This record gives sequence, C-alpha cells and structure tokens, in this order.
Amino acid sequence: MSEWLQSAIARAETMDDWLAPQRRESLALLREAPWPSRKVEAWRYTPLTALERADLSTAVVDTTAPDAQQIAGVDSIDLVIRNGRFENPMKELPAGLRITSLQSADDGARERVKDLFGTVKPTRHIFGLVNDVLASDGLLIEIDAAAVIEKPLRIVHLVSKGADVHTRVLVSVGEGAQAAVIEQVQGEHASFNTSFAEYAIGSGAKLEHYRFALQTGEAMGVGGSHFKLDDRAELNSTIVGFGSNLSRLDTDIIHDGENAQAKLNAIYLLQQNELFDLHATVEHAVPHGTTEENVRGIVADQARAVFNGRIHIHRHAQKTVAELNNRNLLLSRKATVFTKPELEIYADDVKCAHGATVAEIDKKALYYLQSRGISRAQAQIMLNFGFINELVDQMPNEGLAEWLRPQLRERFASMASSEEFAPVSSEAGEQ
Amino acid sequence: MLSIENLVASVDGKTILKGLNLSVKPGEVHAIMGPNGSGKSTTGYVLSGRDGYTVEEGSVTLNGENLLELEPEERAHAGLFLAFQYPVEIPGVSNLEFLKAAVDAKYRAQAKEPMSSAEFLRMAREACKQVNLPAEFLKRGVNEGFSGGEKKRNEILQMLLLKPSLCILDETDSGLDIDALKMVAEGVNSQRSPERSFIVVTHYQRLLDFIKPDYVHVLSDGKIVRSGDASLAHELEAQGYAWLAKAPDQEAVGQERPA
Repeated sequence: MSEWLQSAIARAETMDDWLAPQRRESLALLREAPWPSRKVEAWRYTPLTALERADLSTAVVDTTAPDAQQIAGVDSIDLVIRNGRFENPMKELPAGLRITSLQSADDGARERVKDLFGTVKPTRHIFGLVNDVLASDGLLIEIDAAAVIEKPLRIVHLVSKGADVHTRVLVSVGEGAQAAVIEQVQGEHASFNTSFAEYAIGSGAKLEHYRFALQTGEAMGVGGSHFKLDDRAELNSTIVGFGSNLSRLDTDIIHDGENAQAKLNAIYLLQQNELFDLHATVEHAVPHGTTEENVRGIVADQARAVFNGRIHIHRHAQKTVAELNNRNLLLSRKATVFTKPELEIYADDVKCAHGATVAEIDKKALYYLQSRGISRAQAQIMLNFGFINELVDQMPNEGLAEWLRPQLRERFASMASSEEFAPVSSEAGEQ
Repeated sequence: MLSIENLVASVDGKTILKGLNLSVKPGEVHAIMGPNGSGKSTTGYVLSGRDGYTVEEGSVTLNGENLLELEPEERAHAGLFLAFQYPVEIPGVSNLEFLKAAVDAKYRAQAKEPMSSAEFLRMAREACKQVNLPAEFLKRGVNEGFSGGEKKRNEILQMLLLKPSLCILDETDSGLDIDALKMVAEGVNSQRSPERSFIVVTHYQRLLDFIKPDYVHVLSDGKIVRSGDASLAHELEAQGYAWLAKAPDQEAVGQERPA
C-alpha cells in the first residue's frame, strides 16, 4: 500500500461526523484496495507519481484563492466550494429547488443524503472511495418533481495552493423535473482535489450537465460524475478537460429505467506535459435505452490523453441503441493518446457502433477553404479547431458555449503555434 | 481577362479535358453547356487548382497571371471564384468565421488592413439580405444542415463579399426550384459589371433565361465543339445533345465568335 493511501486512511479514521456510518464500508474497501499502478488496467496509462511525491499534508494553504468569476452571459445560481467548504450564504432559491450543505444538514436532510450517498457511484473507483471517507463538505441538491429550474446551477470548486480537499455533490432530480448543473474545477497551483457527484434522475426528468475539469499545471484533480437514469429520463452531458500533472475523470451512466436517453460529449485539449484521463462507462441494464457518446481530443507537445469508453449492454437490455466514437488529433510526434472503446454486448437485438481514430483533415473541406483564398496553414487550423468546436456548438446552453469557445480557441492557438507542431494523420492504434 | 489555350487535363490517369480553348474578356458572360461527362465541372476544378486534377498541356492566364502555377488560395487572390455545385459542409467552423477569414486573406494579399469585426458583420448581414439568407445562417457551421438552395445562396453570398473578377458558376441551377433559381440569378446579375466576367456552367438552358449570356459554348468530350450567342442555348434546349454524337469534330466551330 502506498504511503499516500496509508495517510489518507489514517486521516479518514479520525473523521468523526454524522456521515461516519456511510464512510465505514468504503473505508473497509479502501484498506483492501490495491494501489493503482501500471498493473491495474484502469490506471495503466495514468501514473500517480505526481500525487505520491506531492507533500500537501504539511503545506500552508493559501487562503487568498481567486474568486469564482461569474460567467458573462450565463445567469446561473453559483455555489462556491472553496478549499473543501461550501461558503455561500443561501440566497433565495426558485420554487422546487432545495440546496443543503452536508455540514449543516438537519436530520431530515441527513436521511435523504443517506438515500443517495454511494448509491449511484460504483465502488470500483478508488478515489471515489477516498472521497467517501474524506469528503469534508458538499452539497445535497434536490429538485422537486415537475419543477423546471430555469437558471443553471453552477458548482465551482476553488482549490488553493497547498490544499488537499475532498468534496461531494448529491443531486436528485424529481420525476418530470428539468434542470442544468455545471461542475467546474479550476486551479493551477500544487494541490489535490477529489470531487465526486452522484445524480439520480427521476422518470421523465431532463438533466443538462456540464463538467469543466479546467485545472492545469500542478493542480491535481480526480473526480467523477455518476448518473442513474430512471424511465424516460434524459441526460445531456458535456465534459471539457484541460490537463495537469494528474487530471482524471470517471463517469458512469446507468440506464436503470427503460427508454432513457443519454448523450455524452467530451472534449480535451492538452499541451506541454499535461495528462488527462477520461474513463466513461455506460451500463444498459434495461431495454430501450439510447446512448450517444462523442469524445474528441487534440493533443500537442508531449501531452498524454487516455480515453476508456465502455458500453455494457446487459442480457435483458434489448432494443438498446448505443454509439460511441472517439477521435483524436495529434499535433506533435511526441503527443500520445491511449484510446480504448469497448462494447460489451450480451443482448441480441441491439444497434451499436463504436470507433476510435486519429482524425484526418477532410481534404474537400481544405480545398473549399483554400478556394476562397484562405491559406492552407490557416485552413488546417480552422478545421482542427472546428473538429472540437463542433461539440461546443452542440452544448444546449449557448451562453456557456460562448464563454468556453474563446478559452478553447486561445488554448488551441498556443498549441498550434508550438515548435513541436507537426500534425499526424495516420490511423491510430488502439490500446 | 481569362485565356485558356489548348488545356489538356486528367483525373486518375484519365484525360477529361482534351484541348480546351476559351477566352473571356472583362464584363462578358459565357455559358458552357454540354452533356454529362463532357468535362464541365472538371474545367472549374482545374482552374481553381483542386488536388488530383493534373494539367498535361496548355496554359491558363487570368489578368496576365499564369494561373496554373498558383496555389488554390493564390488563384482566389488573383480574382478567381468558383461557385461549387456541391458546397461542402464544415461543422464546427462558423460561416461568419469562414467568410471573415476569406475576406481578411484577400485584403492581406492586397496589402490592405483587414476590416474590423463590426464592420465586417455589417457587410455580411447586408449581403445575407441580398441573397435572402437569414442572418442567423452566419452563426451556423459552414453549409451545415443547409438545404440545397441555401447552400447555393451561401455560394453567392461569398461571391458578393469576395468581389472576384472572374466567377465560375458550376451548375448553380441544379436542384433549385424556380424561385431559388431567380434569387441566385438576381444575385449574379447584381454583380455584373464591365470589370467582372462570368462563366456559367449548366446542363439546362433554364438558368440562361435569367442570366443572359453573351456567348454560349458547347463542351463535348473535353473540348468546345460549337459556340454561338444566346440563341444557341435555345437551339440546344429544342434539340438536346444527341446531335453531338453524330457531329464529327471537323464540324466544330470552336472559339469562333458571332458577329
């Protein structure tokens, strides 16, 4: 067992709060869990050396972390979690929406937390277990049946230099309700953060979800967004990842009720020595579910992307329609992508497709742009960015897309101007 | 303006153009008609420099520049514009970004300061109005999800913004209903000027009712076999192209001009 995990367990043993009964089982699992190494498939390409070497336990936490800036053009209900503490004074909320901090939950809320905590997120995620036992605070977000919450809820995790923080988000979307939730993690200084979120989406409910893992540099983050979909529930989720010394996201989408629809788009833009790892698992446990998953990344310099997309169609999940696609663009010879799309099908009447490629520029599109006077080099940049932007265009919240686009554009421009720039257009090998 | 001499060009080793001659003076509108497979679209692709189209023989000059030596983007800077029969869809690249990049590139080639974004947006909206394309189409991906008619109008929109000196319209009428056809023709006619020339490539005479050509040429098996004035188009409409099969090469009048 690694020193890091030992000290995490030691810390967990001192946690003495009302969540202790919830933590107990995870703690037991964690004591038995093998520390991720190259030999553990789920962590084969994502080394934890940066975390093992970081000494955050004695670090002085810089409490002057920058404020959560508002997103211009998006009128959101902002929920700020700074260094592991939810700090918003609760303002007046729209009807049908309740938000409770885990620290200040009353008896009723504690009962409802117990109904959600650990019921969506699978126990195989080791840092999910770490989060179970160490989460110091978090949010319980409840949306009443049939409530339509117009404003998106934006959860901003601010992590200061030296901080080692763990927070949890639990969301219950009632029957026929509609809501949008944005999870945003930002930071660049040496720190470690785990933030796991569990969503129970009621029958006929619609959830629009965004997860922006925008930590860079030495800010390490491991997290997850896990969804359980009841009958006819609809999930539309967009994930955006920049990379850092360690940036890993696990997402699980569980079709628990029939005729549910899930759409997952994910984008990563990586440069220098950044690492981003996305593991996405979709479980079709019941018939008539639909999943559409599109993952696209651009990787420059010596950066490394890891994508593992698994769609598991259980024996009774007939009439499932599932599609998974991962396309990558490598901007340098030293950039790497480890991609592994997996379809595991046990039902015989399903429609499924999957693929992973290193993308090639569409020659016809290149000629079209050139024929209008745009230079070949500029046309290539436009098309490469367009490859990512196509998924940004699909984000249902236009204001959010307009906020994101220039950031991606700026990041892409610095990637494309790197000395290592040498677009690779060969077919990708899978893992 | 444009001078094509003895142009021989091939695709995948197959010779398509077999000695094309054409000369277009400023302000003229030339129609090129002909059956399928005669080389109509190939002419546009060769002139614009599409990959995979190899020039075996001949020369093409536009405004005194040797077109065949230039990259596709340089041909555009030299004043050439090809309105495509099947404009490509480019999701993720907004129409506005694309149009601004094209106009900026042209300005740069002319060593002029690029337009400000606000100024350009005003101009683009004005041009949208002219081709009856809602301004929201500027925000969408290039041609993404556009109908056939909308794609063609988007081509004309590009033409309005780029102000080329030679426009080649490649079967711009295909797939258009009569109203869309009129709209496209109005866009073209509004751009006719003593400095600007057009080559209208079409299978049918219908488009030429709205864009009146000065000359009509019949392309068959890679060369021009007959030329005349606008009345030739009507004659073709009445007779079809079947006579071409019977007409041996020696009957061709090539580049001969009507008086």
